[in-house]
Amino acid sequence: MHGMISYFIRRLLLIPITFVCITFMVYGIMRLSPGGPIEQARTQMLMAQMQEGGGGAFSQIGELALPQDAIDQLKIYYKLHRSIPVGYMIWLGVWPDDDRGGIFSGIIQGDFGISYRYSDSVLSTIVSKFPISVTFGLIGYLATWIVCIPLGVQKALLHRTWFDMTTSLAVFLGYSIPGFVACLALMLMFGTSLVWDLFPLGGFRSENWNDMWAAGNIWWCIKDQAWHMFIPLVGYVMSGFATMTILMKNSLLDNLGADYVRTAFAKGLSERRVIFLHALRNSMIPICVGIGGAIGLLFAGSFLIEKTCNIPGMGLLGFNSLIERDYPVLMGILVFGVLIRLTGNILSDLILAFIDPRVRFK
Amino acid sequence: MATTATTADGARKKLLEVKGLRTYFDVEGQTAKAVDGVDFFIHENEVFGLVGESGSGKSVTALSVMRLIPDPPGWIDGGEVLFRGKNLLDLTYDEMRKIRGNDISMIFQEPMTALNPVYSIGFQLTEALQHHQVMSRQDARERAVEMLDLVGIPDASRRLGNYPHEFSGGMRQRAMIAMALSLTPHLLIADEPTTALDVTIQAQILELMLDLRQQTGDSSIMLITHDLAVVAETCERVAVMYGGKIQEVAEVKRLFTNPEHPYTRGLLASLPRPDRVKQKRLQTIPGIVPSILDFPKGCKFWTRCPVKEDVCEQVEPELVKVEEGHWCRCHLVSAAETPPVEAPAGEPEGGTE
Repeated sequence: MHGMISYFIRRLLLIPITFVCITFMVYGIMRLSPGGPIEQARTQMLMAQMQEGGGGAFSQIGELALPQDAIDQLKIYYKLHRSIPVGYMIWLGVWPDDDRGGIFSGIIQGDFGISYRYSDSVLSTIVSKFPISVTFGLIGYLATWIVCIPLGVQKALLHRTWFDMTTSLAVFLGYSIPGFVACLALMLMFGTSLVWDLFPLGGFRSENWNDMWAAGNIWWCIKDQAWHMFIPLVGYVMSGFATMTILMKNSLLDNLGADYVRTAFAKGLSERRVIFLHALRNSMIPICVGIGGAIGLLFAGSFLIEKTCNIPGMGLLGFNSLIERDYPVLMGILVFGVLIRLTGNILSDLILAFIDPRVRFK
Repeated sequence: MATTATTADGARKKLLEVKGLRTYFDVEGQTAKAVDGVDFFIHENEVFGLVGESGSGKSVTALSVMRLIPDPPGWIDGGEVLFRGKNLLDLTYDEMRKIRGNDISMIFQEPMTALNPVYSIGFQLTEALQHHQVMSRQDARERAVEMLDLVGIPDASRRLGNYPHEFSGGMRQRAMIAMALSLTPHLLIADEPTTALDVTIQAQILELMLDLRQQTGDSSIMLITHDLAVVAETCERVAVMYGGKIQEVAEVKRLFTNPEHPYTRGLLASLPRPDRVKQKRLQTIPGIVPSILDFPKGCKFWTRCPVKEDVCEQVEPELVKVEEGHWCRCHLVSAAETPPVEAPAGEPEGGTE
C-alpha cells in the first residue's frame, strides 16, 4: 500500500514535466508553421477590400495590404518578435513580458490571453464551451457502455449463433460508418421531411431554452435538450460502438475458456454466478482501463460530430481556432487537454489497481 | 496399497461405473472421437489410476464424468455414467450442479490458472461451501481455515485474504485440494494434479491427497496421470488409455508385473529402473500418438505396435477378461488367453520383466 501511494505521487510529479514538454513542442510548431496570425490578418484585410472595391482588389494581391505599424502591433501581441523559447516562457508566465511593463503574466498566473477571433478572454471562451462537450461526452460514453457491454456479453454467450452473426453485421456497419456520417444520414432522414421530420437539424438547445428555464418550465427544457441531443448521441455511440462491443465480447470469450471458469463450474456454482461473478469481472479489466483515456475524450469532444450537428462545444471551438490560427485559444485548449489526459492516465492506473489485485505499482 | 488382489469385484461396491462413454468434438467440420467407448468402474474408497499419453482421452473422460465438456465444440454422444447407481447423463442441469463440488469434485492440472486471479483464496474457498450447504459466512470461514490448516498452509486465517498470485504453485494446488475436499465428496477426480509442480512438491501433494482422503471421510480418488511411478505409489487399480479407449485394466501390482497389452508393456519398458543395473538405455514406444482425427481403423495402437498382425489393422479388438480383475484389449491376448503372450522374439522389452 505504501508503495502504491508513492507511485502515484511520483506519477503526479511527472505531470508538470510532461506538460512543459508537450506545450513547448506545440508552441514551437505553431510559431514555425506558415499561415500565422499576420497572414491571417492580411487575408481578412484583403477579403474586406475585395468586398468593398470589387474586382479592383485583385491587383493588390501579393502586396502588403496591412500597414507596417499594424504588423508590428500584431507581432508584439503574439510575441512573434521574441525567440520561440522566450515567447514560450512568457506564455507560461516564467519570463517577464517587457511589452507589458515587465510583468509575469502567463498561464501559471491564470492569464491565457485574449482570443484573436472572439476578442474575449481565452479562459472564459473555453470554460463556456466546456459544459456542452462534457454533457455530450459523458452521456455519449455512458450510452456506449449501456449499449456495448450487454451486447458484447450476449454475443460472447451466444458465440456463433444467429444472434451473434446478425449483430456482427451491425458491428461491421458501425465500424465502417464514422459517427459524423451517421449523424448526417440521420439528419437527412429524420431531420427533414425525407422520411420523417422528427429531429432538429443540429444545435444544442432551442433558442428560447434559457427563457423557458428561467420560467421554470423544466420538463419542457429536458425534452428539448433530449430532442436536440438524440442524433449527435447516436453519432457518439457509433464512434465507439464496434470497438467496445468486440473488446467486450472477445474479452469475455477469452475468460469463459479460462481454467478458473472450469474450476468454478466444477465447484457446482450456477452458470449465472460463474459468468457474471467470475468471468465478467476479469473481462471488464481491459474495458475499465479505457476509462482514463476516455476522460480526455470527454473534454475534447468530437469536432466532426460537433461540426455536422452544429453543436458549439470544445471540438468545434478547437477546429475553428485551428482554421483561423487563433493561437491563444489553441494553446488554451491544449493546456486543458494535456492536463486532463495526464490525470486520466493516472486514473486508469488507479482503476486497474483497484479491480485487479495482481496489479501493484512500486 | 494393492492389498485387494484376491477380492472379487462383487465384494466391493462400485461408486462410479462408466459404460460405453463416447465424447466427441467437432474439429473444423470433422468429428474427433476423443473418448470412444470407455468402460471402467471405481470402487468405493479406492484410489483408481487412469494412465495414458497426452491425447489419449483421459482428461476428456474425467470432464465427461463431471459433465464439464465445453459444448460447443464437444458433446457426450452416448454411454452411461453411473454414480451410486444414478446415471449422471440423465440428470437435469441443476441436479448435476448439486453433484459437482458436493459429491464429485475435481482438481486440475494447472494450479497457476485454475484459480480466479481477482478473488481472494478465502472467497473462492467459501463460495462453494455456502453454495452447497446452508452455512453462515462465519461458519464457512471457519471451515475454510480448517481446510487450509489441513492441507498444511501455515497461518491459514491470515492467508484467506490472499490472492492466488500471492501463493506459490504448490500452495495453490494445496488450496485447490482444500477447496475440492471441503465438502467431503465421495469421489475426487485429480487431473494430473502434480504435473505442473516441482518434483519435490509432487510427492508432498500426492501424500496430502491420500492422507486427507482418510481424514475427511474415505472418498475415492480417480487419479489421472501419465506418470506410471505416481500410479505405482498411490493407486490400487489402474486403467491404461490409448486412442480414446481403455486398453488394459488391472490391479496395480498385476499390471506392473504381468502387463498384457503391448502398449502397457511399452510404457513400462520406458520407465527408468534403477534396480536393473544392466539396462543401458531406456526403451521408447516408436512413433507418436496420431492426431485425434487420424486414429486408424482396427486396433488404435497398431501403427506403433511392435507385434501387430494383419487382423489388427482391420478389426478393433474387444476388451476381454484375461483373469479376474484384469481386462485387456488386444487380439494377441484374446487369441492366446492362457498362457498369456510372452514377448515374441526380437521384441526388446523383455528386459524389464
